[in-house]
Amino acid sequence: MSQSQIQNPKSKIELIRDLDTTSGYWAAVWTMCCLPDVHVICDAPIGCFNLVGTAVPDYTDAIPHIDNLTPSVMREQEVTMLGTAGAVRRAVAAVRARHPDRQVIVVSTAESEMISSDHTDWLGKLDTPAPFYWSRSLEEDEWAGRDRVLLWLWQHFGAPQAGSVSPQSQTVNIIGPTYGCFNAPADLHELKRLIAGAGGRVQLVYPFQARLTDTPRLSDAAVNIVMYREFGEGLAQALGRPYLFAPIGIRQTTDFVRELGRLLGTEAQAEAFIEQEKRDTLQPLWDLWRGPQGDWFPTTEFAVVAGRTYAEGLVKFLGDELGMRPVFVTGRPIQAGEMDNLAVRDFLHKRQPGFVFGSINEKIYLAEAGARATHFIPASFPGPIVRRALGTPFMGYAGAVYLVQEMVNRFYESVFNFLPLDAVKPTTPAGPPGAPVAPPAGRIAWTDAARAQLDAHLESIPWLSRISASRDLRAQVEGYALRNQIAEVTPEVVERALQRPAG
Amino acid sequence: MDTQPNHAPHQVSVSPDQALTPQTMCPAFGSLRVLTRIDGVQTAMVTDTGCLYGLTFVTHFYAARKSIAAPALGTQELMAGNVAEAARAACEEAARVPGTKLVAALSLCVAETAGLTEEMLPAQINGADVVLVRVPAYAIHSHPEAKDVAITALLKKFTTPARPTDAQGVEQPLTYDQPDAQAADLSRKVIMLGEVFPADPITVDAALKKMGAALAANLPSRSLDDYKMAGKVGAIAALHPFYTQSVATLRAAGVPIVSGAPIGAEGSYGWLKGIGNALKLDPDQVEAVAAEERDKCRAIIAANPLSGRIHVCGYEGNELGYARLLVEAGAQVPYISTSIEKSLYTAADEAWLKAHGTVEVVYRKTLEQDIAALDRYHPDLVLGTTPLSAAAKERGIPGLYYTNMLSVRPLFLSAGLAGTIGLIRDALSRAPRYEWMREFFAGERAPVIPAAAINTMD
Repeated sequence: MSQSQIQNPKSKIELIRDLDTTSGYWAAVWTMCCLPDVHVICDAPIGCFNLVGTAVPDYTDAIPHIDNLTPSVMREQEVTMLGTAGAVRRAVAAVRARHPDRQVIVVSTAESEMISSDHTDWLGKLDTPAPFYWSRSLEEDEWAGRDRVLLWLWQHFGAPQAGSVSPQSQTVNIIGPTYGCFNAPADLHELKRLIAGAGGRVQLVYPFQARLTDTPRLSDAAVNIVMYREFGEGLAQALGRPYLFAPIGIRQTTDFVRELGRLLGTEAQAEAFIEQEKRDTLQPLWDLWRGPQGDWFPTTEFAVVAGRTYAEGLVKFLGDELGMRPVFVTGRPIQAGEMDNLAVRDFLHKRQPGFVFGSINEKIYLAEAGARATHFIPASFPGPIVRRALGTPFMGYAGAVYLVQEMVNRFYESVFNFLPLDAVKPTTPAGPPGAPVAPPAGRIAWTDAARAQLDAHLESIPWLSRISASRDLRAQVEGYALRNQIAEVTPEVVERALQRPAG
Repeated sequence: MDTQPNHAPHQVSVSPDQALTPQTMCPAFGSLRVLTRIDGVQTAMVTDTGCLYGLTFVTHFYAARKSIAAPALGTQELMAGNVAEAARAACEEAARVPGTKLVAALSLCVAETAGLTEEMLPAQINGADVVLVRVPAYAIHSHPEAKDVAITALLKKFTTPARPTDAQGVEQPLTYDQPDAQAADLSRKVIMLGEVFPADPITVDAALKKMGAALAANLPSRSLDDYKMAGKVGAIAALHPFYTQSVATLRAAGVPIVSGAPIGAEGSYGWLKGIGNALKLDPDQVEAVAAEERDKCRAIIAANPLSGRIHVCGYEGNELGYARLLVEAGAQVPYISTSIEKSLYTAADEAWLKAHGTVEVVYRKTLEQDIAALDRYHPDLVLGTTPLSAAAKERGIPGLYYTNMLSVRPLFLSAGLAGTIGLIRDALSRAPRYEWMREFFAGERAPVIPAAAINTMD
């Protein structure tokens, strides 16, 4: 066998597995294209257009395609010889002919940046100039990107026309979401409910439910709500009004409603709303807390890989308020000292907590590890998942109830799956869910050390599943002993019997 | 373009109405779909983060639940000229997965522009072969054609030229040794080249067995061994027209090629006869089997004919064959469009379709062309890309994603014909629901501007 192995010089090359955070270009498209009176021309090969405009949002935001996005369609000739100005020029003319009422914005992509296609000059000299947005796709991630795009939209289409208006009392803007924000419609719905409850009136939901021509009105609101910690704060700061972040959990939500009431001068209404919510939206949480379901939380471990808002919110709510045990939490965009996907993958291969909140990546890692007793709960993109219904929020009081209800039902599901069953069809011996049947108890002797060894294995299994898992593991070991005519189970036998098959 | 006599003035590539939005999945996905599905193959993607995010997403959704390794490539790394080093590091990470037999390094737009070449990568890592698959979307224009690129990269790795050379590069003389039993067996087998519904190879194998042959494998396949076998079988059936490089590679390896697919009555008959010829099977036996399939197809069509006007506008590259089936079954298909290029291998189907009432066949199509055709021909059913199907439904026309259609029913021989006709009849019968939904969401229909009258039958 000829082998020309090259040593990896262990230089500064940083490795990625299953990238979870996209680029500034995607941020630009997913932010600007929310505004129906904008038409984005991306200076892109067909692939960059299709992925951001059709293939991915089709399966996340559940829209057939983003119809105010057009590619310049750079081909080999543009990349190697002509440059992309001609292609962009044709696209601008064509889009303007079809949609004279839309504001054209040209956006760079990684590939156009790679060949240094900066169109600022000539676009500015057109009879009707068009702005060019350099998306910094090679450096900037989607969160910093959204933050910068929002600010850019304000600076180009808001601030110049905004004038010096005094804010209308009791009006509130919501900054965020954009396309590609997990679970946004339900969270937005809950946020609007909280704002109304606290005595506010929602003015603009920017950019998700606004038009570009609304941009100057951003300055009219008395308070801004920044929906995500990942992006939007830059715009809130530029607007110069007080701003709050959207809340997750009972305590944060209560603080949020109170603070908003204080800022709007509607304290009494906010307090009344909180009292009403306790007896209405939040009542199921109080009931579940007092019921037997409440006993499960302190013994249940969870892990989170999600956007910063969700990661921090879930720790506060599930960990601090309900008393569940976080085994690891890592937010996106990733901060120094947090686990990247290589580390998450290694961790989940070795140990699986009862609940994992994450993206399709964590779901894959759990599948790779053959995790059977872990509940995966979608809490982040990437991954094909539709969250367009309004009743699945994580934020606010409704979110607290939804999360607890979701977990309790997963518990019920576990119980259901572990209870004895008279199957209509015989279970195949090798089939994955078919639990091995143990030989009659007492036929095989166990040494004390072997029992301790079995207990050690059980430690790695989520608490709720341990009773049935102990039955499974014992059956697996004794089955192995029987097949190999071993009369007494020792720690070595346990190890051999429980060894995972390779691959 | 000769396909649109009444609209020639609009066919200029810079026309604002006709050429804005080419329709294809990101081309590179075609390669990823093929490669990530093979057991023992790990992929390393060399590209920027936006591209990596999107392609990882679609791969995890439609191709394989496999972790994908990549280097972080930003301005810093690209400026420092670290692309080769980054690619090697990602390949090594990919090869760490136990059981890796082959690492496919995918070189995408940014890496191609930076100049990543095969020589910069090791031939092997820990005994696993390393193959560079070059699929920049600016040069490969559709996702089916990128499947061809990936398969070709594997075939080139595993097939030997027709006449082996010695160490000095001199061709070995032909020998007249008795071929061994295994080689003799393979020489009566066929490999089909082209993605198919899982039941199709089973029905094809059954028909081939009746002719005294058999199916050896279907590519793309989950097994690397099938790619290694491709150069040794009696014939390759190139089912879809876009496998041009794979076909050239196998032809150079001395394997006879049969083009076309066993779709519909005429198609199934002709294809089985073609296989019989390529494998030098007993002509009488072949004729009997082929005629039997043809007659079964005709009986199915006679019992369940289609009627209605259908547009076939996918981006999978196999739309022409699908359209033939619909036409044979009685449907009108005035308009067909695809993402691939017109070639030698599309000529026969296009000629057949034009002779049977098809007015336009558009290659490298755009969304705008497809939508204009909707308003020109007013079809009863549209099999399209997702944006086109949405546009059809907005008009109250039943619309289905062509790729979904392919993935839910067999297509080949009489068994596939029956299933496909059933699916299409069912879709046509659902028209009132589409109109009800349209009216509910969009309200009263605006007066329709009459489209230019086109006689689709001349």
